[in-house]
Amino acid sequence: MAAGSTAWSIEQRRAFTVGLVPALVVLAVVTLGPAIYLVVTSLTPLTPIHPGSGLDFSTPFANYRQALFTGSFDHSVWLQCELSAITVGLQTLLGVAVALLLNSESGFMRAVRTGFLVPMVLPPIVVAIIWKILYTPDVSPVYAMLGAFGLRPGALITSPVWALPAIALADTWEWFPFTMLMVLAALQMMPNEPIEAARIDGASAWQMFWYVRLPFIRPALMVAVLFRLIDSIKAFPLIYVLTNGGPGQVTEVTNYYAFIQTFNFAYWGYGAAIATLMVAGVFALSLLLARLGAVAPDDA
Amino acid sequence: MMRKPAVASGAGRRARRRRVRRGLAQGGAAVLLLAVLAPVLWLVLMSFRPSGATLAATLAFTPTLANYRALAGGGFPASFANSLMASTGSTVLSLLIGVPAAYALARHRFRARGRIAMWILVTRMAPPVAFTIPFFLVFSDLGLIDTVPGLIIVYLTFNLALVIWTMRGFFASIPASLEEAAWIDGAGVWSTFRRIALPLAAPGVAATGILCFIMSWNDFFFALILTRTNAMTAPVAIVNFMQYAGWEWGKIAAAGVLVLLPVLAFTFFVRSYLVSGGMAGGLKE
Repeated sequence: MAAGSTAWSIEQRRAFTVGLVPALVVLAVVTLGPAIYLVVTSLTPLTPIHPGSGLDFSTPFANYRQALFTGSFDHSVWLQCELSAITVGLQTLLGVAVALLLNSESGFMRAVRTGFLVPMVLPPIVVAIIWKILYTPDVSPVYAMLGAFGLRPGALITSPVWALPAIALADTWEWFPFTMLMVLAALQMMPNEPIEAARIDGASAWQMFWYVRLPFIRPALMVAVLFRLIDSIKAFPLIYVLTNGGPGQVTEVTNYYAFIQTFNFAYWGYGAAIATLMVAGVFALSLLLARLGAVAPDDA
Repeated sequence: MMRKPAVASGAGRRARRRRVRRGLAQGGAAVLLLAVLAPVLWLVLMSFRPSGATLAATLAFTPTLANYRALAGGGFPASFANSLMASTGSTVLSLLIGVPAAYALARHRFRARGRIAMWILVTRMAPPVAFTIPFFLVFSDLGLIDTVPGLIIVYLTFNLALVIWTMRGFFASIPASLEEAAWIDGAGVWSTFRRIALPLAAPGVAATGILCFIMSWNDFFFALILTRTNAMTAPVAIVNFMQYAGWEWGKIAAAGVLVLLPVLAFTFFVRSYLVSGGMAGGLKE
């Protein structure tokens, strides 16, 4: 009997492994393989102009030294921080505010909620076109309206000062629904008792938010902020269509810098080194996210 | 005698104030939604505007399909078909490989489960440029640049992780008791999966498939780098209108509308999963 059940459990284990292994093999081929290839490439001066440069490991850390000790990479990281800070900050404020506004179980509010998801599910390239239209004075309804009042502001996306905030604004529009969704989900799981108790104690709307609701949604909010922080590093279509990294290099954030170095200038090795540094940064943030995900239920 | 009406009218006032506040919240939400969606509506309007009137900001124009007809005559339908093939192919392949794996992870305690979860999370988070460099180099050697199969393979990088991640959750939420009863009756693991677990998880498979399709359909970066002309997808084709066709705004708007339509339609089907927040993390790049 015991022997039979052991044989059966071995049989079952083998069956489950058969189901799991193909997926892991494919996943390894399409993710681990490229990751290793990327790191190896980052140790070479690979460029199509010099045949054989992909096998030249004589100065393995030259790309990293160039990245860390010449100004342009630092510049891109600094721009990245600026862009991420503005856009994640705005998304969080707007996402929480709209979630609080929509936090009611009426059918009307539920329908409205679905409408707010539209910017987030639109193809990113369509978002980029929409904002290109809004930011191009010739075709923009916003510029037309301002013109009707006699205002003729310059184009934001060609201004060295305003190009980055303009991208941040478009990115905020695209992604605040994500924070809104996460916060709404958390708000709906909130028990009624603390809210009732605070109401009886005569808490103002602001006190109700700050002392009752915010502590409850904080774990979900942290996860949303981290997700958005990581994704803001990858913003591509908006920058590609709106500014192409310019004017000058004022919107050439790290991701875009890696793209230009690799695919415009063909510095494959150098681009791979930048990408490797980015993956390392994203990995650190993901570890933090996993840790947060693990502690979130206890905090709530 | 004197106090009672005062109390009653106080309660009435409070009820009225609550009703006013709810009305204000609903009105505010409606206005805000309109403001958020206005740019999208503008794109749709632009796509129906005759070419001469495109630049005018007025709403008075006779709608025309000229922009769409111009698109139908060019290379856009081919790009649209490429997008369809690459997205559908990658979705089907990811579901075929990923759903059994998700089931195995949900029903069996593998020792490496935590590490697999972390691996999948990092895959979801890694910047696409990190994948594109090695894929471009290898695809150049294998002749997969500018082919639909090449795109299908690249889209597996995010779709397979998404399928395993979300389907594991769906299977975990189905009670295992029916399957355990079938096992005791001598049914094999995979025939039980096919006959019991899979039909129960069918809505989850549909929702996950739709998310995979949307993610592949929305891709711009991989297609920009890894295709030229033969396998060019619709999002890349739109950008080419911007560069070569001298800013034909009407055509660009019409192409944008065509690209967003399938996504909006599909999102409508999965909106309940989205609004519950559970799958939000997987969506988009």
